[in-house]
Amino acid sequence: MPPLRLNAVAFVSPQNHPILIRSFAQGQDELKYHYIAHTSLDVIDERISAAVASKSTECYMNLLYTMEDVAVYGYITPLKVKIIIALALTDSVVRDADVLTIFRALHTAYRHAVANPFLRLNAPIDGYNDHATVLQAGNGKWQTFRKRVDDIGKAVGVVGVTA
Amino acid sequence: MFVAGLDTQAHPPQTPASPNTSTTPQSRQDPFYVLATRLRDALVSQRKVAIWQPEKTKTFQVVLVDKDVPFPPRKLLRPEDPQYSSSHSPLSPLTPSSPLYPDGLIAPIWIRKHTTLVPSVFVVFMRIYESPTGKDEREREAEERKRDSELAAEIAQRKKSTNERSIKLTVVLMASRRMLDDPSLDARLTYIRRQSGLDPRAALFVLSPVSQAEIGDFVRSLQEALYEPALEYYTNHSKRVRRKRNRHSQVSSYQLPMSPMASAGIARPLRPEGWTVRYEFKMACFAEFRGEDQVALKHYQDAYSTLLIMFGSTAILPPRTKRWAEAKVLADCINVKVVKLYLYNNEHSLALSNQNSHMRKFADFSRGWGIGEETFEFWSWLARQHRVLAELLEQGTRSTLKIPSAYPAPPPSAALMAAQALEASQLGLDAMRVLGLNPNQALQHPGFYYYMAARCTERRRERFLALLEAGGDNNSPGFVNERKVDHLTVVLELYTRSYELFKKWSPQNVQNPGRLTLWIAYRIAQTYYDSGKFDMAVRFFERIAKTYRRESWEPLLHPLLTQWYKCAQQLGDVDLSVRLLVEMLSYGTNAVADDPDALQDDLLAVLQSTVSSVTDEPLVVDLSESKPIVDAAVVFWDPAVDVGDLAAFQIQLSSHPHVSLSSLPFTSLAIHFNEDVPAVIVRHAQDDSQVEVPSVQRIDLGDLVVSPAPSEAKEIEGTLRWGAGTTIVLVGSVSSQLPMHVSVAKLVLTIKERSWWIEVPIVPTPSSSPLIAPRWLASVDPPRFIPIRREDHSGVHVRYRSHRVQVAIVHYGPAYLGEEFPIEINVTNGDDKELDVAVDVLLQPTEIDEAVNYIAMDDQRSTSLIKGIACGALSPGVSVLKKLYLTNAGAPGDRVVDISVQSQSRTPASASPAPTSPAPVSPTSPTSPVPAEPTSPSAPPTVDRTETLRTISVSAIAPLTIAHSAVYKRSTRALLGLSDLRTYERAKRPRDEADAVEAEVTSTLTVAAPAGIVIESVVLQRKDGERAEVVDCSVDKDDFAGEWLAGDELCDRCRIFVVPDEEEPDEPIVGPGEYEVTWRRVLPDGSHGAPATSRFPLPPLHPPSDGLIALLDAPTTARLHAPVPLRLTVRNRHPTRSANVTVQLEADVADAFVVAGLRHGRIPILLPGAEESVTWNLIPIECGLAKVPRVKVLDRRSAVVVAGQGQPETASTEGDEIKIVDVRWDGRAEPGVTGIADGEQVGKRQDAYVLVLP
Repeated sequence: MPPLRLNAVAFVSPQNHPILIRSFAQGQDELKYHYIAHTSLDVIDERISAAVASKSTECYMNLLYTMEDVAVYGYITPLKVKIIIALALTDSVVRDADVLTIFRALHTAYRHAVANPFLRLNAPIDGYNDHATVLQAGNGKWQTFRKRVDDIGKAVGVVGVTA
Repeated sequence: MFVAGLDTQAHPPQTPASPNTSTTPQSRQDPFYVLATRLRDALVSQRKVAIWQPEKTKTFQVVLVDKDVPFPPRKLLRPEDPQYSSSHSPLSPLTPSSPLYPDGLIAPIWIRKHTTLVPSVFVVFMRIYESPTGKDEREREAEERKRDSELAAEIAQRKKSTNERSIKLTVVLMASRRMLDDPSLDARLTYIRRQSGLDPRAALFVLSPVSQAEIGDFVRSLQEALYEPALEYYTNHSKRVRRKRNRHSQVSSYQLPMSPMASAGIARPLRPEGWTVRYEFKMACFAEFRGEDQVALKHYQDAYSTLLIMFGSTAILPPRTKRWAEAKVLADCINVKVVKLYLYNNEHSLALSNQNSHMRKFADFSRGWGIGEETFEFWSWLARQHRVLAELLEQGTRSTLKIPSAYPAPPPSAALMAAQALEASQLGLDAMRVLGLNPNQALQHPGFYYYMAARCTERRRERFLALLEAGGDNNSPGFVNERKVDHLTVVLELYTRSYELFKKWSPQNVQNPGRLTLWIAYRIAQTYYDSGKFDMAVRFFERIAKTYRRESWEPLLHPLLTQWYKCAQQLGDVDLSVRLLVEMLSYGTNAVADDPDALQDDLLAVLQSTVSSVTDEPLVVDLSESKPIVDAAVVFWDPAVDVGDLAAFQIQLSSHPHVSLSSLPFTSLAIHFNEDVPAVIVRHAQDDSQVEVPSVQRIDLGDLVVSPAPSEAKEIEGTLRWGAGTTIVLVGSVSSQLPMHVSVAKLVLTIKERSWWIEVPIVPTPSSSPLIAPRWLASVDPPRFIPIRREDHSGVHVRYRSHRVQVAIVHYGPAYLGEEFPIEINVTNGDDKELDVAVDVLLQPTEIDEAVNYIAMDDQRSTSLIKGIACGALSPGVSVLKKLYLTNAGAPGDRVVDISVQSQSRTPASASPAPTSPAPVSPTSPTSPVPAEPTSPSAPPTVDRTETLRTISVSAIAPLTIAHSAVYKRSTRALLGLSDLRTYERAKRPRDEADAVEAEVTSTLTVAAPAGIVIESVVLQRKDGERAEVVDCSVDKDDFAGEWLAGDELCDRCRIFVVPDEEEPDEPIVGPGEYEVTWRRVLPDGSHGAPATSRFPLPPLHPPSDGLIALLDAPTTARLHAPVPLRLTVRNRHPTRSANVTVQLEADVADAFVVAGLRHGRIPILLPGAEESVTWNLIPIECGLAKVPRVKVLDRRSAVVVAGQGQPETASTEGDEIKIVDVRWDGRAEPGVTGIADGEQVGKRQDAYVLVLP
């Protein structure tokens, strides 16, 4: 089995605003991954309503769609933050366990980023706003989150598929 | 199936004119005409030729032909030709005139031949001759025989040609209903069949004109009968082809051509691989005709793999030749067939993997052929592959194909999961699905493949354009052809179909058009832009931008705006251009840190070079849906101020980083407040524009005053220039004479440049990010800000000053139960205005049992709330005193009273219009309604009113406490006994009752009130009843009036006759009266309060009961030597038992008496309720206190009982000794009183004494 290659990662807030979009494919149009992340929300919405109907609490949304040279997978955290990854399309079976591992790592990275107390440094005391905190986590000011996500992206390519 | 003879154009020439139809037009009335029409419809409509036909019913594809339609010749030569056996079909590559000669694989015409030109079965409809009635029998027979022979000959002719190709011929004879019943029909039919040489089975049918439904039945049965021969027909074909293929594969090692003609060497003949492809393809087709999909699939795959071998060698199939092109098309076609057959079987991933591998393999081949990814040919071909797949899927999804979802809902039950696992293991195909899936093989809806086709076509165009630029006049036929293609139309068509499919497959949601469709819409718009249809593109951009703005996907918006702006430029729509440029400025589209001026330069250029379409009114650029051009934040220092005070505020306008607005000619900034605050206009003051814009500028707006009269907008000059990321702070303060909520409604930036007049409204946002607290500019140089950590910083409440009203509450607690406790409420107007004051009092409900409390004030009295006690208008400095009376009953405890004093200014603060001034409350009407509170708590009250609240807790205690004790004496009166009738009469008063007990109740009243009270009177109110009656009491005689202090006590004795209830001796008897104490509170100033009355009822009485009792009545004093009587009364109070009693006087020598009377004797048996007296005469012989001789009374009854039980100890005694009670000391406590035994004597004397006087 060829190793998975992570082309892009997107974090989208519960209100469908982008938090962070990173693309790892060299020489490719980053905008394309913005579009992919945005359009994936359609499929995710559909899956969420299906999950609600069947009372499922599954975070992993499986393959959303394939388009051109990428396969797009989705994941939703319990607090409704959506994580979308685009894997390079190869003609081989992608094991759900591998994708899930990537998602878990990304989720952990996100959790660490949001737990940063300095995100709320200048916040008004009473103006409590979770959504803004979440969006702020993807701000360029906070390097660690990006670095962590980039590390995951690199690690996926290097380690490949764990047998 | 070929169907002939259903020709409705021409009438059958030989139709005999029946008498009843001769006058009417035949075409309408002829039942055979109708029959033929219906048959045609039924046959033709049952099966349409379609791409997607997975269902296998036994239906035929019907082609209507003439009766004598010729078939295409099997071979070129006539059968008479001697070389016939070695010649080949006209389509064979071996036939020189064939288009395939010499090395073609197979041609589409071959398929056409088998689908439209050569049938598997041939059905002829014919009329059987029916002789008119009434003819001569023999003549008719002869005629019939003649006609039948003709018919048979015709059929035989047809049969000859069908036999040649071993096609089944079936004749349907149409006959009238009458004919069916004709006995001669069978013979005629047999004759016709024999004559014409038809098969014995399923070759001859007779049909009469029948209804539509029956036609359907007929068609069905006809087809069922013919299905087998048809299958057989194609099976035979397959067999034949397989034989030939085997022959070829056996000789495949030779390169010897099969035909001698090919040795002419004009071109190389078809190679064995080619033959294999040809035959496999044919077999696949025939299998498909038979409906054997699996067989067809196998043959197609074999053909395909052999074809791949051929493509692999340029020797076999030299590229860029006609045959090569044909083969390529053939490979594509076979691929589609394979995919389709897989999909019929719902093997989605196999279908897709086949499709993918086809594309991959041929992409590899293409590179070898020099038409790789850099050529438009390649992309054209790839686009076609995607498109074909998309169309196939589209066709399929319209009927039976289901697109699987990659996200199966989690199995609801373990059973289903097990079933799925079983299914998976049985199929073996989806075993990998358990672990994951190959995303490449996940079938998606056809919209995706149309999209791919469109993308490929776009690339094809790119390559073509590149070639056009590079080559110029390339005249290769492919290029010339490509020139004719309108790529953009194709792209547009593909995108549009994709768009429609995405729309169809996306969940139905009216509000949200779906983001996937938006993406495709964006591509469509771009294609429109590329093809120069800018107006269409603009329409798309408008729709797409809405969602992107709402979901704030700025990265998506940037290219969209840029593209949109280009469209607007192309269209020459300057207004739109300006709008878009302003929006782009707001978003910082294309902004880069090192060139912040790029965008504003664009805008400036537009403004300077063009003329606005409207000049008399401003062009309003509404950015409410997107980001504002400058972030505006409004901060008020205080959340609320009093009327007339200044509320300081700041408005911060910050431009975005990386976007400089320094050269935009902002002329003015208008600040609009809500309410009546006058607008402020800041005009740009011309200053030296070369100066670098400081990061923070301050403009002072001064003080703004809200006045009821509309006032002119204030104008101020300031510098309205922003650099990249700089801030202008507008500082001012506002005051109002009326209560209101002041906030900034909007800001309007105006640009006036040449003919342009642009207004950009800005709605102030709380902050650019909710995570950054709003800031208050503390110092300009260096810029320092103080964060305002408050929610409602964007506005200020102006409210009335609260009135200075003092409320003093005075009371001297604790309150006593039963009195009207006075509470003084003292309201003083300490304000400088005249105030209307009203008081509400609420008595909180208590949880104390039986507490019935009420409050009273003026003339109102309530158990809970007294509302709106008007105190009238108070001038400044005046106070008013209100007395509230709190009356408590029930148990002691705390009572809570809420007192609310409302003050309302009599005259409004200013001469404001009517709505804001409340109607003054009339002081004379205490019940006039208090104006209602404003409904919204956020809105400042328009009524100048202040409420002062006080809560007091008053403890209530009892002023007096009482304690009772009671003792009971036996009556000395004689009992009447059962034998006396008077026993059964009820006496009028308890004191007359024979068995009445005299109770003596001692009541002790104690004053508990800490301050002391004045007792006015203590009276025992008598309430004599049937069972109890007060005889006398001590309070009747004395006057206790006077001031009592805490701890003072009064004791009262009261005698009561009580008649015990014989039936219910345990029930207490209600005390026959109550003490009524009238008292007054002693106030601190020495005066006395209002009289109050406390009542204390007499306690309930529990007279004790008796059994057998002896009462000794001795005189108190005696004279020496004068005889005195000593009487003993034995009384049987037992309700049921009679008593057997002996009396014994135990004289003693030491006694001071000489006794005359019974010494020892038995008293007659005492019935219940009876009594007996024994009297002795005593003569004292000593002076002083002398003890009466001892008397012993024994109850023998219990002795008998005991003896009967044989207990020797007690048997020796003569019975129980009965207690003797000295009536002079008689007195018993109530049963159950602690410390004293039940019915025990209070006086402890055992012996009776008599004082003997000398």
